[in-house]
Amino acid sequence: MTLFEELQQAIIDGKAPVAKELTERMLKEGVRPAEFFPKAIIPAMDEVGRRMRECEFFIPEVLIAARAARGATDILRPLLVGDESIRPVGTVVCGTVKGDLHDIGKNIVAMMLESAGFRIVDLGVDVAPEKIIEAVRQHQANIVAMSALLTTTMVNMKAVIEALAAAGLRDKVKVLVGGAPVTDTWAHSIGADGYGKDAPAAVELARQLAAA
Amino acid sequence: MMSSRERVRLALEHREADRVPLDLGGTTVSGMHVDTVYRLRQALDLDAPGTAVKIIEPFQMLGEIQPDLQDALGIDAAILSGTGTAFGFKLEGWKEWRTFGGTPALVPAGFNTQAEPSGDLLLYPEGDRTAPPSGRMPRGGFYFDIIVRQEPLDDKNLCVEDNLEEFRPISDQELEHYRRGAEELYTQTDKAIVLNLGALALGNIARVPGPGLKYPKGIRDVEEWYISLTARRDHVFKIFERQTEINLANLQKIGAAVGNRVTAAYLSGADFGAQNGPFVSPQTYRHLFLPFHKQINDWVHRHTTWKTLIHSCGSVWALLEDFIAAGFDILNPVQCSAANMNPQDLKKKFGDRITYWGGGVDTQSTLPFGSPQEVRREVRERIKAFGPRGGFVFNAVHNVQALVPVENVLAMYQAAREYGSYPLRLDAAA
Repeated sequence: MTLFEELQQAIIDGKAPVAKELTERMLKEGVRPAEFFPKAIIPAMDEVGRRMRECEFFIPEVLIAARAARGATDILRPLLVGDESIRPVGTVVCGTVKGDLHDIGKNIVAMMLESAGFRIVDLGVDVAPEKIIEAVRQHQANIVAMSALLTTTMVNMKAVIEALAAAGLRDKVKVLVGGAPVTDTWAHSIGADGYGKDAPAAVELARQLAAA
Repeated sequence: MMSSRERVRLALEHREADRVPLDLGGTTVSGMHVDTVYRLRQALDLDAPGTAVKIIEPFQMLGEIQPDLQDALGIDAAILSGTGTAFGFKLEGWKEWRTFGGTPALVPAGFNTQAEPSGDLLLYPEGDRTAPPSGRMPRGGFYFDIIVRQEPLDDKNLCVEDNLEEFRPISDQELEHYRRGAEELYTQTDKAIVLNLGALALGNIARVPGPGLKYPKGIRDVEEWYISLTARRDHVFKIFERQTEINLANLQKIGAAVGNRVTAAYLSGADFGAQNGPFVSPQTYRHLFLPFHKQINDWVHRHTTWKTLIHSCGSVWALLEDFIAAGFDILNPVQCSAANMNPQDLKKKFGDRITYWGGGVDTQSTLPFGSPQEVRREVRERIKAFGPRGGFVFNAVHNVQALVPVENVLAMYQAAREYGSYPLRLDAAA
């Protein structure tokens, strides 16, 4: 097994200390930080996504794997600043909409997007439309990803899309929505560009939207 | 005319009564947000404008369902719950309060809030403003969310006792409350009494953070808890073992106090389903939860005539066989909008072995956003699917939320009374 394969396995198995140790060791041995994503982290999280879809992995397993991936990305991220050879797949501004404090699903999506090579600007929970506009401008984001758990707050997704239009940013970003009460029909009705029914679907969709 | 109690009993025995029994507020997971209760009472002319509604559950902000409202809608179940709340203060010493939605409400004396500069409201464990707050309602919001207070975890020194602080032997005073409550409901109403003990279920994620404790110790962070179900499985098993010991001892005392006046007991409120599938694998359920659920259910079935209810949102198709093996008689809220939760399939595969309590109309789309006609149509479809041969107590999927149009609530119960008469005659097109 190569070290890249070992790192992949450590992430899939959710062994955060092993993932960290391997990352450090590989860096010492001269592996370039940019190589980690395509050769270990992205394939590992793709496998986690596959297992989640196939009902082999459930919330605890996904959270543990995401935490292990974060162990590696936390070490790598500072080393990648200014490295022109690796550009993020896209920049995603994400958050749970105004009035809503639920973030487990949003956090899983953010962690999986990050592991898939996206730059994540996570605004947290209870995020007002103005904050999203500001972040899109500041970070030149190309995707906005919003989450809501409540039927009483999902309407605030529409307010964000309207605010993006009013700020003249609607055609500069793709809007992705998700969360328990959200459906494909709802996403269409508010003018979103896509709906992710789960975290792997959100990653797939973000990849398509970023490539479009 | 058949009594409500008899109607529910027959349904739970998988027999057809005179009509499908109806619930609203029989449990804290089949109730209604206080804003909606207020608007409903006004629409039905039960109160003068401005008459406050009691909040009987401050976490989900549920309003009291009084006998006059039960009668107006034809409700067959009544709640019997303890005096405590998620935030550690008691349901006593009522004072006036107003929701962000403008509803005049009555809240317990311990319901002490503090506004943040952002306009968010904070709520305190045991009502003690000197302790770190444990609940937050965003400005303009409808519910409190639990504030996680997690001390740093040291995996080498995990202590089972730390996660037991909220599990305490029941007091004599509380037992007397249950005894008197059961007695009153049994003698003064004909409703089926539903004993509510679901909050302190194993791994109920709304209670894991210890919102009623001033300084919670142990595993209290929600993500950390879910991770622990796999990564610290032996430790969680030991926590459950002790929690079950305490719960079982309390249950025996409550059983002695209320006896068989109770029809059903809501015993587990932990969610096992997410929108697309179970939160945890069936193996995790079998290893970690099933043995303890079985212990509790076995005791109930050996010593009482109660039917036992498990509440779990989301897609639980993959776990239902195990819930039945654990001895549960009733599933709530039957979230048909989740994956693999098709009403016909649920009825066909498990309908003779478990009663569906809920599933009457979708709470995520139809009830809040549909028209009264769409509500009626869905209620009819659900009664047609779940109603035959009993085994069905009608309720919306989970609590009726804030902002739901009153016309939709009225349409829901009207349709349920209309279409729910046995023998069902729903084969013709609506």
